[in-house]
Parts: sequence; structure tokens; C-alpha cells
Amino acid sequence: MYSNKIQYLFLAILFLSSCDKIITLPLKDNDTKVIIEGNITDQPGPYIVKLTRSININEPNIYPTINNAIVVIADNLGFKDTLKYSNEGIYKTKSIRGIYGRTYFLEVSIDGKKYTAQSTMPKKVNLDSLRINIFPINGEIQFSIIPVYTDPIELGNGYRFIQKINDTLDNNYNIFNDNLNNGKVNQRPLNNGNEDLTIKLKDIVSVEMQCISASAQLYFFTLSQQGGAGPGGGTVPTNPPNNIVGGALGLFSAHSSQTKQIQIPVN
Amino acid sequence: MLPIYRKFLLFLALCIIGTVQLAQAQEKSTINGTIKDKLTGESIMGAVIKIDQLASVVVTSNEYGFYAISLPKGKYVLRISYVGYEEKKITFLLDTPLSIPVFLESKNQLADVVVESKRKDDNLIKAQMGTETLNMKSISKVPVIFGEKDVLKTIQLLPGVKSAGEGNSGFYVRGGAADQNLILLDEAPVYNASHLLGFFSTFNSDAIKDATLIKGNGPAQYGGRLSSVLDVKMKEGNNKNYTVNGGLGLISSRLSIEGPIQEDKSSFILSGRRTYADVFLKATDKFKDNILYFYDFNAKANYKIDAKNRIYFSGYFGKDELGLGSRLRINWGNKTGTIRWNRVVSNKLFLNTSFVYSDYNYNVGLKNGETNFNVNSNIKDINVKQDYTFYMNPKNTIRFGFNSILHTITPSTFSGTVNNNINKVGRNGLENAIYFNNNFKATEKLTLDYGLRVSGYSIMGGDEYNLYDNNIKTSSILLQKSAFGKTYVNVEPRITSNYRINDVSSVKVAYARNVQHLHLLSNATAASPSDQWIGDSYNIKPELADQTSVGYTRNFKNNMYEIGAEIYYKSMLHQLDYKDGTNINTIADVESALLYGVGRAYGFEFLAKKKIGLFTGWISYTLSKTERKIEGINGGNWYNAKQDRTHDVSIVTIVELNSKWSVSGVFVYNTGNAVTFPTGKYSLGGQTIYQYANRNANRMPTYHRLDLSVTYEDKKRKKLVGSWNFSLYNVYGRENAYSISFQDDPLDKSKTQIIQTALFRWVPSVTYNFKF
Repeated sequence: MYSNKIQYLFLAILFLSSCDKIITLPLKDNDTKVIIEGNITDQPGPYIVKLTRSININEPNIYPTINNAIVVIADNLGFKDTLKYSNEGIYKTKSIRGIYGRTYFLEVSIDGKKYTAQSTMPKKVNLDSLRINIFPINGEIQFSIIPVYTDPIELGNGYRFIQKINDTLDNNYNIFNDNLNNGKVNQRPLNNGNEDLTIKLKDIVSVEMQCISASAQLYFFTLSQQGGAGPGGGTVPTNPPNNIVGGALGLFSAHSSQTKQIQIPVN
Repeated sequence: MLPIYRKFLLFLALCIIGTVQLAQAQEKSTINGTIKDKLTGESIMGAVIKIDQLASVVVTSNEYGFYAISLPKGKYVLRISYVGYEEKKITFLLDTPLSIPVFLESKNQLADVVVESKRKDDNLIKAQMGTETLNMKSISKVPVIFGEKDVLKTIQLLPGVKSAGEGNSGFYVRGGAADQNLILLDEAPVYNASHLLGFFSTFNSDAIKDATLIKGNGPAQYGGRLSSVLDVKMKEGNNKNYTVNGGLGLISSRLSIEGPIQEDKSSFILSGRRTYADVFLKATDKFKDNILYFYDFNAKANYKIDAKNRIYFSGYFGKDELGLGSRLRINWGNKTGTIRWNRVVSNKLFLNTSFVYSDYNYNVGLKNGETNFNVNSNIKDINVKQDYTFYMNPKNTIRFGFNSILHTITPSTFSGTVNNNINKVGRNGLENAIYFNNNFKATEKLTLDYGLRVSGYSIMGGDEYNLYDNNIKTSSILLQKSAFGKTYVNVEPRITSNYRINDVSSVKVAYARNVQHLHLLSNATAASPSDQWIGDSYNIKPELADQTSVGYTRNFKNNMYEIGAEIYYKSMLHQLDYKDGTNINTIADVESALLYGVGRAYGFEFLAKKKIGLFTGWISYTLSKTERKIEGINGGNWYNAKQDRTHDVSIVTIVELNSKWSVSGVFVYNTGNAVTFPTGKYSLGGQTIYQYANRNANRMPTYHRLDLSVTYEDKKRKKLVGSWNFSLYNVYGRENAYSISFQDDPLDKSKTQIIQTALFRWVPSVTYNFKF
């Protein structure tokens, strides 16, 4: 809410002269970790678990994949599914189904080391529609998208929105919860874009709404708070707390998924 | 009243009664009075009074210029001196109690001293350690950003004091956090001492007389924060003549008027300031909807009721506004008010009673489509103080008194179309303290300043308090309004000793315990107006610091040069932080996310000053380490606090070229702040996520900068005295890193870019100051 971007904006105005430059830093070697990205949704499977390893900052973004793992997902009703390796570190489920209220247990064994996680799929809240929010500022018109949904009366609902502008993924984390406005129709627009990616006239914007568990909320909200590493940046960055036991990074998340899209009309 | 307070008061009373009887037995009498500036009638604090007949007697005037000395009956010669003033000699016969007001005449200002030393070798006499007084007149030539002289920025050039960031008025003292400094404006605490995102302080230099910084080893009358006290005093106003002061700058202008209400009896000062960057913004297309300004206003008046009673009223009001069209509006401001009543109770007993009010308010208004809401947080203090100074005899000056503050702290409350599920209400806390301090001149060479402060904080009703064990709620307590909950009582002993080795050098040793009952929770790595204060609770215990320091001071060349070195070690208990991923503004109960731990800070400080001559200035160097250890952060291991910087150097020089021109320069060099850079990266959901290792294990690049300023002052003209100040901040245009961020290279997504942002390179400024 108190975006550091606003602070930057004012600082930039104040001095009209802030200068950015690309630098190199003497960074130490990274302690390579196993990265687990597992998702179960309410959509038909197969669901995917992707296993990779982290790399040094100055290496190109080509992440080593893990293809010799044993990956099993079970649920609280006793269904058990051993995932099949596909390619590029991706393992696919064969039969298990994503249903609200069920708890899913993930077990990954890599070279004899075991990682476990569990996640319960929250109840789905319907994404009714998308609305366009128009805001004129300094002679320009800015657009943002308001996802319309009614938050249920019980506390603890969390939502993640993934926005794509003309098929380009918007890197902003939009994590909403019901700490504010519990039980009401959402009126809050999504944060969007950056200098290189803004919503313009005629753009097609698609929004995926996920109803996520508390551990996923914490994971993504922590990421959203980490603005920058400098003194003017966000909170002190850390690896976001996750639900994986055994020392791997990443997240195992059971969530609902709905996608809608909207085009910004010319008038 | 708590039993422990009662016992303490009884003890005090006994002390006083006992000494009064003693004094009567020795056929003594007392001389007292007030020391003032002859031209303006401003009282002079820290003037030194010596007696020719008794070499060992050294008395200094208190905050209101008052002094008292009791002596055996006889004939004496009194010498009163203060830096920048002509020494005054008074011969008198002491038989019955005498009251002699003293008016000191200001010297020709050419040989101005930069960091005031009260007397040329006063630094060797005083027991106080880690204390610096800055006089506004003397800092006026030190260059600062935007040409706006600023006490908070000048103290950052002293050893042991670090700037919170580029051009920022926030500061850290000896490894303490920003909230561990007690900033007082005429005794009223100022909860946010910054304007305009920290680039200006709330202290308008035209309205300020002086500021004293005590780095942790303060006398017992000060308390409530772990690291330091910055005691800022407003001018009283000229009680002889009307004068108008002002300044026109590129970013802001100021104006102040002072003068007598009744000559020699009462005076006033009114002072205001406003920035006008917003006027320029309106003229541009790109920023016409941006709002950015602040203003502040100081007022003070005093009235002499009779020879023994004087009353002072002072107030401050300031406001900042930031905005983006109708979408966003942020404003914050402080209000303070102080009423003080000075009373000379007897020849030897001086009493000041203060009623203090302080209010800090922060408000964010957000409008987005049809959503609009306000978030408001507020802290309010009502404070009553009584402070007695008892001039028992030339060897002992005793201060004692009490202080009682009612805090009302209201965390973020939402209004508008957005509502918070938990309706947060204001919490009250009652902070009490009683203290006793004696300045004891044990021998001609040894001075001891020792005291005891007992502080208490009582949780008060009107809210529900939850109890947590490892962040899991175990129970809750609903306190009725005006009911008292838990009370924390802490005893804070303090002692400073000064041993004068010889005519030119002295050694000082000090120990102090400080306790803090109010804590600042911050959502960001930088100080932000959205930071929230919280008082002690069932979970939050008072923060505690023990500081020990040892120092050595030596003067050279007839006190023209002074060098001083101090080492300190400070350990801190009950330090606060909160868990990763906590939004302190929207969380139902922020206490559910708090983490507790300890801290330690140690360092070496060196200061060399040239105090007299056409060329003055100082070199300060600090070598230090500051760490925290908090369960739940960094695996429970020690880590660098963000303000940890290994080396810190400041060089300040002022050269008076002739009676009109002076040139000054500041050079600063310091190790970069401790920060956390990623060590690695991975991909999740198509986005690059950074991997981190130890907290604050990395460093920002080294910071250094040179500022120069030239002042031209035309003193010859009788009526209007004008001066021009031209300054250039960051002379060699170094791009000092304000932030460093990591992102995917927009041109080649397979690479990571490291981007350094510097706020500005050169900042020139011109200010015209006038006085008539």
C-alpha cells in the first residue's frame, strides 16, 4: 500500500536528476539449493512439479534441472500418485484430482534426500468479472484492472492475481487478503506494469485469480514487499518462508484457478 | 503512587533537609542570579563562574542561565565567562544572601568557534562524557544540502553519529536505531524530526538557540531512549529590541520576528518557514498534479512575573504534504507545546515546572476508482515535569525531580470505503520517572557526576491485550478504561567521573543504564513516515542498554587545539523486530508477529578540533561495530545492524578570509551500510526469484562527498545586515549509491542486471539571509 515506488517518484521529482547505472558487484558463490515448484489446481490435470537448482547471480538464467527424482503426491483421502518425469525437470501427475478442501502431501526424493510439503486447497471464490479503472495524472491516462469478486464472510481468504498484458507476464505480485474489507466486493485495482510494461488503449489484459492457502499468501506477500536492496528499498530481503520441509526453496501450492480477459476500449 | 517512588522521594527529602542544616552551621551565605546576553537579553546556558579567592570553585549556569553559589561570608571576586563573550568581573561582599544579574557582552565575532567549548579548557573540567553542544550561530557556516543550515545534519559530522542516508536528517548514535534518540524541542519530544522525506529537519535554525547531543551517558534528568538525547532549545526572543531575520533560498524561505513585549520583562519570537518546490512542479506538464511541500511555525514568549518567577510558553507546528492528484495524499506533522515556570524557591534552590504536549499525526488518503480510504496513526503525549536544582555548596550541585507522561498511541486506523476487520483503538500508557543526580567536585582534580533514575511504565486500559508465546496466542486481557495493567519498573544508575591529569589533559570514565518504553516499528529499511510507535505491553518489555565508555582529552597550544578519544561498549536487551512478510499496517495485532533479541555496539571515536583563529574546524573519525541477535532472524545468529559502518570520517573546515568573506568545506567518507544482496537466483512461475544467505552481510559501496560553501556578509551597514551563501553539495559529483537493485536485463532476459541509483550529483544552492 505504501509503495516505495511512490517515494522514489517524489525523490525523482525533487531532484529531477536521480541517475541509474548498471554496476557489477563482487558477489560470493551461491549455496546451491533444490527448487521445488509444485501446483495442484481445481482445473483438470495433469498437475506439474518442477525441480531445478538455484544458480549464481551472474550466470545466465539457465537453471539446472533435476531428472532423477522420485515425486509422489498423496491426498488426505488416501489417493496416491507417483509422478512421471516428462522433460526439463518437469514431473506430471497421472490420476490425482484437485478438489477444494482436500489436503495434498508432496514427497520428493533426490539422491536419497527427502523433501516434503503439504497444502490444503481453499474454497473457490468466484471471479465475476474484470473492470477497468481509469486514472488521469499529469496529463496522461493510466489504466488498471479491478478484479470483481465477493470475499466470503469468514476470515483468512487470500488471493493471488497473475496479470498478462498482451501475453507478456507482469512481474508485479498482487497478493490480496481479507485483513481489509472482509466479506465485501473487491474494489481494489491490481498494481501493474513498470516502465517497460504499461496498459495502453486496445491492450488485451488477462488476469488469473488464484484462491491460495495461508502459506502461499505468506510466500508471495514476502516477495512483494522486497522492493530493493538499498536503504531506500523495501523490507530487508530474505528467502520467503515456505511450506517445504527439508531445506528446499520454492513452494507447493494447492489453489483454485480462474482466468478472465478484457480489452481496453478506444473510447 | 508506587511504593518505590514514595521511598525514593522520602530519601530525597532527607538528603535535602540534612544538607540545609549542615549549611546553616557553617555561617555561609549565597549569591545567585541569571546570566544573559547584554544585547538581546537571551539567557546563557553553560556560562562558567569562577572565584578568584577559591580556585577550586567552578559553577556553570543551568538551562535558564541561573546560577547559585553558597560561600563562607567574606569578600570575593567573581569571574563569569562564556565563549564568544567578554569575561565579566564582579567584586562583592557576601554577608546576607545576594542576587546579582549578569549581562555578558558579545565579542567581535571574527574568531568564532565552531563546536562550542564553553570555556577554553572547559572540556577538561566537565564530568559529562560524549556530549557536544552546537550553537546555531557557530554552525551557520558549515555547508549543508540546499543551503539550509540544519542542526540535525551538522551533528552527523560528529564522531559516533551517523547519517541515516543521503541528505537525510535521520541519525544513528553509537549503533542505536533511529528511534533510540530522544529528540526534544523545548522539552517536548518530537516523534518525527524530518520534513520532505528527511531532506529537512523540523528545526528551523532561525528559531533555535542551541542543541546539545548526549551520546548515552547522560545525567539522570534525561531518560526514555537508549542511545542519545538531542536537547534542542528555542530562542527566547530579544527583550531589548525588535529584530527581523529571514532567508530566501531556492527551495524554501523563512522569516522570524522577535522583540520585547515589555522591555526587560517579556519577549517573544515568531518564526515560520515554507518550501515552494510545489510552485515549480505546477508549472511543469509532467508533474503538475504532484503535491510536495512542508511548512512549520515556531513561537515562544516569556514573561518575568517578579524577581523570582518567570514563565515561558513555546510551541511548534509543522506539516508535510505529499500528493499525486486526487489519487494519493500523504500528510504528517508534529505539534508541540510547552509551558515552563522557573521559580527561585530559595537562594540555593531553583525549580522548573513544565507542562508539555506533543502530538504526531500521520495520514494517508488513497483514492482509486470508487475506492477511497484514509489510514491514520497518531501518538499524543501529555507530560508534567518538575526539576529542582539545588546548589548545596560549591562542591555539590544536586538535581532531582520527576516526570510523568501519559502516552496515547493510536495505530493505523482505516476509514472510508475500506475497513479494517479489527477495530483498532488507541492504547494508553503512563510513563513515570523520578531521579536524583549530584555533580560532586570530590577534589580539585576529580569530579563525579552520579545519579539514579527510576522509571516505570504502566499499561493502561481501553483495549484488549493479547499474550503470545512464540507468536502463538495463549490468552488475552481486556483492561477497562482507566484501569492499570502491568507496570514495568527499572532502576537506571549512572556515573561519570573526570580526572584532570594536569593542566592540559583529563581522563573520563562513565557508565549508564538507559531504558526505553516506546518502540518504533518500521515497514521499510529506510525511515518512513508510516513507521509506527508501540508502547510496552504484556509481550513487549522495556528496552534496556548498558553503556560503558572511557575517554581521554588533551589540549594543545594554549587550548587552541583539542584532541579527544573515547571508546564505548553498549549492550542492549529486548530489541524488537518483526517476522518476514508482516504488513504492520493491516495486521490485526502486530504483537503476534514480533520477534525479540539483543544487540551490542562498540567503537572508538576520535575528534581533533581547532577552536580558535581565522581557521577553525574539526576532524572526526569513528571505528565501530553494531550487531543484533534476534531469534527468528538470520537463523538466530548475530548479524550486522543496517546502521553498522566500520569507518566514518568527517572533516569540517571554516576559513574567515576577511571581515566579509568566509569559505567552508565538509568532507565525509564512510563504509557503506550493511545490506543484504542476493547470493543466487531461481525461477518460479516464470519469474526470477533471488536467493539470500546471511542478513546484512553485504555492503553498499563506499560513500564519500565534498561540499563547499562561500559566505559573504556585509556587517558595515547599520540597519540591514545581509549575507549571501553560495554552496555546492557534492563538489566532485560522485554518484553515491542510494539503492542497489537486481532485475532481469530488459534487453536480454537471460541475464541479471544490477542497477545502482544515485539521488543526485551536484546540488548548488544560493541563500540570501537578512537581519534588521
